[in-house]
Amino acid sequence: MSVYAVNYLCREVLRDHAFRAAMKADPAQAVAKYDLTDEERQALLAGDVAKLYRLGVNAFLMGYLPRFEVCGLTMPVYNERIRSAR
Amino acid sequence: MAQIVGALGVPHTPLYPALVEREGPQCETARYFAAVTSELEAMRPDLIVMFDTDHLNTFFLDNLPVFAIGVTDAFKGPNDEPRAVPIYTIKSRADVAAHLRRTAVEAGFDLALAQEFTVDHSVVVPLHFMTPAMRIPVIPIFVSGHVPPLPSARRCYELGRTVKRAIESWPEPLRVVVMGSGSFSLEVFGPRIAPGRSDGVPDPDWARRICALLEQGAVTTLLEEATQEQMLGAGNVGGELLDWIAMLGAVGEARPKFVTPQMEQGHAYAAWTLS
Repeated sequence: MSVYAVNYLCREVLRDHAFRAAMKADPAQAVAKYDLTDEERQALLAGDVAKLYRLGVNAFLMGYLPRFEVCGLTMPVYNERIRSAR
Repeated sequence: MAQIVGALGVPHTPLYPALVEREGPQCETARYFAAVTSELEAMRPDLIVMFDTDHLNTFFLDNLPVFAIGVTDAFKGPNDEPRAVPIYTIKSRADVAAHLRRTAVEAGFDLALAQEFTVDHSVVVPLHFMTPAMRIPVIPIFVSGHVPPLPSARRCYELGRTVKRAIESWPEPLRVVVMGSGSFSLEVFGPRIAPGRSDGVPDPDWARRICALLEQGAVTTLLEEATQEQMLGAGNVGGELLDWIAMLGAVGEARPKFVTPQMEQGHAYAAWTLS
């Protein structure tokens, strides 16, 4: 059920401004406290949103990653990657 | 006795406040919101009951009700930082909301109780355009329209009918407007977004079909066609149609005064005037 943890931390990027700043500064450190699988952690830190989508992460919540430009994601990058999950 | 004096269906796109701020009162979105605002003002409401789908902001996946109602005298929002929207305090009516909840539970609709909560853009964006002074109390009824399994269209319609009956059994002579907030075909941040955008309209034909059925008052057909597969096939927030369907339950048989589609966004603006 660690997809839940990915969903949760995506929303924390919206809600918790200190966490948002930490995700910009040092994402590997920021996500360390979450119980993620290696696959999820790697995909998240690589901004591989297509992979996360296939793992079952909620797309609406993932939208907070490019919106606040964390994990190397901007809207154009996110757009291209998520559309590849069609 | 309280009575339903009208109903309004609206979108709640979080990009709209900044868009209208940028493009001014003559842009399409501003004009469409102005049209439903005129209707709202003519209805002279004492209370708004809004069917809404929260975007995992008021509730989350840890604790997700299929149906819930806000029972409080005030709540704040938006809690999700849409641009160009201040944080409002929105008045509500805990006494009426508790009555709606009691009546609904007695009728078999187990509305979860929310007493301390904030709301996201889906409640606030329409109010930002339509009642920026926030003088009219608003009771939000939350319908889970994004995370399957969704409640059935028939069940949401019956919920609307039950809410209508509950409103009409409130002894105070309140004028009540019922609102439905949401889109018909819209993908937000999912794989079916359009190139260069954060959203897309995967099934404009379905959105057109809904507008036609609304115009015709063809509720039975709409309830048959609005399956989970159809709604979520039209986009990951396509289940927001359920908010309109619950609103229709509160409208009854009346035909709309107007249904104005905004097809490039997969939604519409509509008004029902009731005597």
